[in-house]
Amino acid sequence: MTSRTWNVLYYIFVWLSGLIGIALPVGIGLYLLLNGGKILDISFLLDRPRGSPLGSEGGILPAILGSFSLTAIGLAVAFPAGIGSAVYLSEFSSSTRLKSYARLMIQSLAGVPSIIYGLFGYAFFVVMLRMGTSLIAGSLVMAIVMYPIILITSQEAFDAVSREYREASLSLGIDHTEWIIRVLFVKSLARILSGVVLAVGHAMGSAAPVLFTAAVFYSAGGIRLSQPVMTLPTHLYFLVSEGVSFENAFGTALVLVIGLLVFNTTAMILRKNIKE
Amino acid sequence: MISQKDHSSPHGGLSARDRIVRSLCLLFLVSGVGILALTIVYLFIESGFGEGFLHRILDCFTGEWRPLATPPKLGMAHAWVSTAMVTGIALAISFPIGIGIGLFTSEIAPLIIRRLLTPALELLAGIPAVVYGFFGAVTLVRWFENAFQLSSGETLLGAGIVLSVMMLPFIASTSGEAFRAVFREYRESVLSLGVDQFTMLRRVILVRAFPGLIAAAALGLARGLGETLAVLMLSGNTTAFPESVLSRGQPITALLATEIGETAVGSDKYHMLFTGALFLMLLVLLLNLAISVLKRKIYTGLYAN
Repeated sequence: MTSRTWNVLYYIFVWLSGLIGIALPVGIGLYLLLNGGKILDISFLLDRPRGSPLGSEGGILPAILGSFSLTAIGLAVAFPAGIGSAVYLSEFSSSTRLKSYARLMIQSLAGVPSIIYGLFGYAFFVVMLRMGTSLIAGSLVMAIVMYPIILITSQEAFDAVSREYREASLSLGIDHTEWIIRVLFVKSLARILSGVVLAVGHAMGSAAPVLFTAAVFYSAGGIRLSQPVMTLPTHLYFLVSEGVSFENAFGTALVLVIGLLVFNTTAMILRKNIKE
Repeated sequence: MISQKDHSSPHGGLSARDRIVRSLCLLFLVSGVGILALTIVYLFIESGFGEGFLHRILDCFTGEWRPLATPPKLGMAHAWVSTAMVTGIALAISFPIGIGIGLFTSEIAPLIIRRLLTPALELLAGIPAVVYGFFGAVTLVRWFENAFQLSSGETLLGAGIVLSVMMLPFIASTSGEAFRAVFREYRESVLSLGVDQFTMLRRVILVRAFPGLIAAAALGLARGLGETLAVLMLSGNTTAFPESVLSRGQPITALLATEIGETAVGSDKYHMLFTGALFLMLLVLLLNLAISVLKRKIYTGLYAN
């Protein structure tokens, strides 16, 4: 074949790949919308699972509440820890080598599969610390999953704040604490929030960390730290694996994807604000 | 970048309040990284590290899984083979397409499509694994049942195909980064020689971007190895040794998710499951380290030129 033919084939291949990249998320989204749209209404969101087998009718309110409490408590732990660690690395650590090793280690750990953290949480929180399968055990695992993401994105946000501000502020006689709170946090707020939103969206959708640390097939609705909870991803998993109801499974999957869209759009708007 | 100078400069000294804040932040960092490190230590402990550990490792990779036999057989060979097949299939599909998308976004795509593609890929990366599992179950699995006349449409091939979609955004964005860096450097000089896009790609871009492409493949692989919910729902989850890509199987993550909740804490089976988890984590950690090192090489190498 001539070089011209190869060039044409190359263009076709690259265009096709690009179109696949667009068609896949659009296709999956539309498919879920068409099949799940029928079932998704206010009563699906605000009702508890009903029917026989349980979950074949009714809604997903306890799963929504469970997912929100898991990530909220997890975030309450991971957010200060992640931001604090990032502040230390970019403001107080005088050794660039420590910084570079810490970053390498944290990035590697951020890639550890969440099922591994789920297993650790089971062995450590559930069994050894005797928390049992509970909201608190699951939330702590969620915190472990979110911590490295928050740390990495906030450190990047801090690094993006111009060093000139720092020199100027510090030479005006304010101390580091005031500089961190009054300038650094304010300047990097949008970036940090966009990272947090992504971490929360990721955590809320993953079932592996909570499958054996916090989740149950059905809970009557009380949200207590010492009690297990329902979550959206595990609810979807149970509905499908037990063959309870594909209709409600479509509804739950659609809620998860719409939630994700909301999170992603929020992050995107936050990032737009940074540029302006 | 904070140099030593900042602390010794007249305005950079730490106030009493600063020292408290610094200690507090250090405490956060140490406990955060400590918990993550504890995860590794804990997996070692729970895998029954110590006497008979080498024997257990050998068993883990070569033996059969028959926990109910007497004496119970606790090997996980079927799971490792399933994992290798599923991730192999997924990588074989998503690596070329991911590279295609990387090239598309870095060089060929019109601005408007590029602006669509970035959020589209982010969306693809963000869809929860369990939704992929469900989507695969209602589309591919049903289709496989009819197309291949199978009694059950759950196959390693189907799990691999869905996994390839999940890997795609990571491979696309990493290879895209690598291509962009190389294109910036070489486009003008190569195109001024009058060669076409494909020749430039083959002779220059692919060669220079090669470490980046390896990093992309490694990242996809790391994601795929640890993926749990989708393969759990699509692979059929049987402990039989997989015979072909159309067999049912049970990747290691699916085995862990299925068994751990029903295993007596501290039993041989429990230790064996944690041995599997330990090696899965070490494998992924190694891949991640390799990716970080490769990426550093790429960027420092390019900026140094």
